[in-house]
Amino acid sequence: MKRMYQIYKTCMKANIASAITYRVNFIFNSLIMLIGNVLFPLVTVFIYNSNASFAGWTFKEALLIQSVFILSTACAGIFFNGIMWNTMSHVVEGTLEVVLIKPTSSLFLLLARSFEFESIGLLGGGVIMFVYALSGIDGMTIGSWLLFLLLFGAGLLVMFGVALIVAAISFKWVANSRLPEMFESIKSFGRYPGTIFPKAVVAVSSFLFPVSMIAYFPASTLIGRWEPYFFIAIIPCVLFAAFGIWLYTYMLRSYKSAGG
Amino acid sequence: MVSIFVGPVYFLVQYYIWSAVYSGESYINGMSLSQMLSYFCATMLINYLTMDFADWNLQMLIRTGKFITFSLRPLNHMFFALSQKAGHRVLGLLFEFLPCFMIFFFIFHIDVLPANLLYAILSIAMAFMMNFFIHYSIGMVAFWMVQSSSIRNFFNLCEGIFSGSLIPLVFFPKSLQMASFFLPFQYTAFLPAMVYTGSYTLADISLPIPQVLLLQLIAVIIAGVVCRVLYAVSLKHFTGVGA
Repeated sequence: MKRMYQIYKTCMKANIASAITYRVNFIFNSLIMLIGNVLFPLVTVFIYNSNASFAGWTFKEALLIQSVFILSTACAGIFFNGIMWNTMSHVVEGTLEVVLIKPTSSLFLLLARSFEFESIGLLGGGVIMFVYALSGIDGMTIGSWLLFLLLFGAGLLVMFGVALIVAAISFKWVANSRLPEMFESIKSFGRYPGTIFPKAVVAVSSFLFPVSMIAYFPASTLIGRWEPYFFIAIIPCVLFAAFGIWLYTYMLRSYKSAGG
Repeated sequence: MVSIFVGPVYFLVQYYIWSAVYSGESYINGMSLSQMLSYFCATMLINYLTMDFADWNLQMLIRTGKFITFSLRPLNHMFFALSQKAGHRVLGLLFEFLPCFMIFFFIFHIDVLPANLLYAILSIAMAFMMNFFIHYSIGMVAFWMVQSSSIRNFFNLCEGIFSGSLIPLVFFPKSLQMASFFLPFQYTAFLPAMVYTGSYTLADISLPIPQVLLLQLIAVIIAGVVCRVLYAVSLKHFTGVGA
């Protein structure tokens, strides 16, 4: 365990050093990510400024869901999303041997190398928006915060599963750089209050492809609008991540070297 | 081919969002629900025909030094990049525009037929050029900055907001709507989408479509001249090693 910690720490340091090599570019990128994500809910702002609304949701409630979506995306970006691009790049260039010959779990090593410090701006933007949105939410308790953290973690499991599934597919379907777009489009259902979607869509986004767990479910616990079925949806989230790990490990065997 | 899945899924999300927003409202900012849905379909379809990544490509060539191989060829790289884009977008027409058009028209029953085919083609052609000029100009920043992804990201952020692809510009505050006349972004998405759907109003100014096309033409000419001047100046800054 200590060895894994050391490996992860080394990879983190290497990524941070690499990210700040071009300092001006790094600072600009972080600022742009921060500003960009504060501006991201402009659609919601303009809708509410036009005296319209997502039926039954106040502005800050809708904003809270979107800020949680950004926080989840930022955490995924920092800790594991990079595994998709790293794996794809290794497969295309035929250089995965460099990872496979290392005396540690290949999945763990690729994850450690996927640490991406540049998403820190995204996290900053998400936190600012989250704090602002919380200022309009009443009646939060320690219990609701604990439920929020539980569901937020489950949402991260969904994104982790997606990242691994996409990475795993790249072992067979080489250079599938647009595959993540398909998952991104499905994820956008989790960015808005679930009540605006028909029941069939809610069922699919809760249990089959649980993208509602990324933002809608956790944010609803803070607002006090949670339903018991939110907690049943944790099961498919865990299964999603477990399937991702299994598929990645299984598909790793399909890797064909191109000579390195 | 991924677009055949992604486009309709994004549209479906928009469909539910706007259906919820319009519940109990006939018009918001002068647009009905059906106009709003047609607008989003039009922006998506136009994007398939005008999408551009000349900035990324040019920055990569400059950063890696591969641009040197182009400066040795008896060929203007700007023209090469434009031809490359034209080829890509012909593929976009066949494998993205046409299938998604049919999905929107036959499955979602959205009115995606252009109000006037000739005007729509002219406007999309100008949006194609406008998109190229502004992306290529952004790409040329790499002649001065080794790593210029931040500038590209900033530009993409502005484009995302001010082009009208996120939300029609009529939802913006009046001052921002006015500013949009002087920024290049609306000429790549909002304006062609409005020409496509047959009416144009921004900042309470309604213009007939021929005048809108003239406005777009002026904007494209200005962007083209700026791009050409930048290209001439930029080439003097290029230093390539090896490649």
